[in-house]
Amino acid sequence: MSDLLAARTQMGTSLAFHIIFAALGVGLPLLMCIAEGLALRRKDVVWMALTRRWARAAAILFAIGAVSGTILSFELGLLWPTWIKFAGAVVGPAFAFEGFAFFLEAIFLGLYLYGWDRLSPRAHWFCSFPIWISGLASAWFIVSANSWMNTPAGFVISHGQVTNIDPLQAMLNPSTPYETIHMILACYVATGFGVAAVYAVSMLRGKRDEYLPSDGLSEARTQSVGRRYKDEYRRKGLLLALAMGAIAIPLQIVSGDANARFLADYQPAKLAAMEGLFHTQAGAPLQIGGLADPQTGKVYYALEIPDGLSILAKFDPNATIKGLDAFAPQDRPNPLPVHTSFDGMVASGFFALFVGWLFWLIYFLRKRRVSENRWLLWGIALSGPLSFLAIELGWMVTELGRQPWVIYGYLRTKDAVTTAPWLNISFLVFAFIYVVLAITMTVLLLRLARSPLPKMEWDELASGQSQSQGERAGV
Amino acid sequence: MILAYITLTVLWLSLITYAALGGADFGAGVWDLLSFGYSVERKRELINRALGPVWEANHVWLIFLIVGLFTGFPSVFAIVSIVLFVPFSLVLIGIVLRGAAFIFRTHGLGRNNPITMIWSRVFSFASVITPFFLGASAAAVASGHIRAPGGNVSTDVTGATWLSPFAITIGLMAVSLCAVLAAVYLSVEALHTKDEQLVGAFRLRAIIAGALTAVFGALGLLLAPSEAPILWNGMLAHALPVVIVTMLVGLATAAALFTRHFHIARVLVVVETAGLLGSWGISQLPYLIPPDVTVQNSANSPNVLQFMLIGTA
Ligand code: HDD
Ligand code: HEM
Ligand code: HEM
Repeated sequence: MSDLLAARTQMGTSLAFHIIFAALGVGLPLLMCIAEGLALRRKDVVWMALTRRWARAAAILFAIGAVSGTILSFELGLLWPTWIKFAGAVVGPAFAFEGFAFFLEAIFLGLYLYGWDRLSPRAHWFCSFPIWISGLASAWFIVSANSWMNTPAGFVISHGQVTNIDPLQAMLNPSTPYETIHMILACYVATGFGVAAVYAVSMLRGKRDEYLPSDGLSEARTQSVGRRYKDEYRRKGLLLALAMGAIAIPLQIVSGDANARFLADYQPAKLAAMEGLFHTQAGAPLQIGGLADPQTGKVYYALEIPDGLSILAKFDPNATIKGLDAFAPQDRPNPLPVHTSFDGMVASGFFALFVGWLFWLIYFLRKRRVSENRWLLWGIALSGPLSFLAIELGWMVTELGRQPWVIYGYLRTKDAVTTAPWLNISFLVFAFIYVVLAITMTVLLLRLARSPLPKMEWDELASGQSQSQGERAGV
Repeated sequence: MILAYITLTVLWLSLITYAALGGADFGAGVWDLLSFGYSVERKRELINRALGPVWEANHVWLIFLIVGLFTGFPSVFAIVSIVLFVPFSLVLIGIVLRGAAFIFRTHGLGRNNPITMIWSRVFSFASVITPFFLGASAAAVASGHIRAPGGNVSTDVTGATWLSPFAITIGLMAVSLCAVLAAVYLSVEALHTKDEQLVGAFRLRAIIAGALTAVFGALGLLLAPSEAPILWNGMLAHALPVVIVTMLVGLATAAALFTRHFHIARVLVVVETAGLLGSWGISQLPYLIPPDVTVQNSANSPNVLQFMLIGTA
């Protein structure tokens, strides 16, 4: 691998890893906040048990998020020193504000996770608000920095120097509203469908669980009470998560459509690569699926809708859309991965929309009974991983579609890479670390999922008394 | 210019906070590595209990430091990232493994599970490596051997700057300082749980590690005139009072430990850390990477600094 390729691969791997935890870091706190609110209002043990289980998962996920985010902050300099000199000077404050948001998040997270038996239930619930709000804020700040890379603003280049810097204008660059909204919605979509998928799988497997014996109940009675709770527990988990996912997904699709239209004006090369459009033309077709081969300039195996792209992008079947041939060869992104990723994202999005809405339709038609239909449960189980896949693919569109630029129109990726040696080794070491982290974390989360539910008694759950020693020490 | 110095002060305070809090995290890992015998389990438990709730918040200071540096002084971050690519990568690996290992251990799989034991080892080794290379990198910067004429630099692959005798000395000093911090905090923690045996154990450790820190510090001072002349001259010129106070605070910390005034020792050891880092900073002024990079020629434009300072204040 060339040094440039090694650096790009390492950066891409790190970001692809981090974004999973980042998305959960934005989405899960909101789920916990709502569930705990419901629990307190209705004095409902099941909602409380869900909240507590999610909090334990969050403790593990957040820590990995922090660790992988730290890798990224270093890598910005270690791999792309020229980029950071430029970007730091102009949008650095966005990163600084993100750091500030993390600070709030970390403080309240500490209170939240370790404060079950020290805070009053209401005070504990209040702690969950700053967590999801600062998660949201940090996503907004970091994505606005990425938007700036796509549509740089807020500075002037004179005599090779970056001058007249306006950091506010840089953060509020043209792309910011589109990218940040789309990304924040994506966090809710992915967390919603992802959590729902966990319960769908659990319902599919119809897990037989052991229940902690309750005082004064016979063994058989314990088991039947326990099973009833377990059913209700899964059902409520599924409902809340799917509510979040199903509300966010149509908004997500609408906002994605706006993103694409925005690109037609601001990053036409990216749009051309996304759509596999090689030639500038009036009445451009929409090509769905297929392989966009940059060698031959053709899209193979695609489903073609005449004039589709012109209509979508400009609301006019005869509108002219710029193809890749409108750009010099050294300024073209590679359409093969960009087009494929784009279609993968869109397909995942529509799949999630279909499954999510079908579920609610059936739910209300059946007078609020959760369908146990295996096909539907399988669909939900699949929509979780697909939503995360959509996030990854969406980022491939954004990042690969921006190539060969790292700061669009100003700095090429190949000029931004470090001169340090051994980038191959560095990539291998970090790839190894990610594999180890992923495996260990999966083991821990599975163990958490299999551990028996706590005793369902309000006083104990709401105050933390029922947690075993280990749960209290390690959350 | 004044904004650049304010930014620098804020960054230095973050550095000190990270050292005083995060450094204790590392130190706890060092003691974890060295704990054996009958009370290992109790020591580990104390360490887990003390670290759990604060680990993530401590960590954020590091993030602050990095983003503050590349926003406030973009070229400084770019230059050290290139020159010190190797030790920074090692530090990064250390931070990552340590953070992950701590989580995996506490959310553990039970005490004697082999995965827990492996992560426990990883946790302790990473806790030693990280402060060592952080200290060594700081020494490399302070030594004045990193030349950046016109901002052009290349990676130091041989370790000429970051594995010099001076750098190794400062690296070891950083490790032992972390160990002191942790031992002092942990003896206070043990005091609260009324575990007299552990109080005694950590008190002894604090004193030993403190003595080692003093030895490495003295060695560093001996090497400085030849190995880091700019730093040495700067210290003589405008940091001597701070250095003397820092030394006195060190002695006072030792005295507080001997007389079992643990709460006082805890305050003093933080002051000591601030003094050490502060005197490094003051000695180096106006250079950020002596001799080519100064505060003046690397600071970002004032309106960006102002924006950042107001935004995060
Ligand atoms: C749950 C995830 C998810 C889903 C279902 C969708 N997207 Fe998306 N998309 C993302 C997650 C995402 C993302 C990962 O969040 C990206 C990457 C950068 C960004 O801001 O959002 C993204 C980027 C992104 C971009 C590039 C923006 C840019 O580079 O400036 C476009 C044009 C779209 N999306 C369009 C769509 C359309 C038309 C969808 C219709 C179904 C869609 N997305 C569904
Ligand atoms: C977390 C979601 C993200 C993912 C999955 C992602 C993905 C990627 C990928 C795959 C690459 C390699 C592209 C290539 O070189 O061919 C890359 C490069 C890069 N990304 Fe992102 N990215 C994300 C967000 C961000 C954000 C928020 C920033 C900055 C604020 C950023 C900054 C960079 C930089 C500096 C590079 C290297 C230069 C380049 O290759 O263009 N990324 N990213
Ligand atoms: C270049 C890109 C990025 C960098 C440098 C970066 C940096 C970081 C850092 C340092 C942390 C750890 C904070 C802590 O100590 O707790 C973190 C966590 C987080 N990041 Fe990123 N990040 C990047 C991309 C993103 C993106 C694209 C998002 C969008 C959603 C995001 C959202 C988050 C969130 C929500 C957290 C908190 C995660 C948690 O606590 O679980 N980050 N990031």
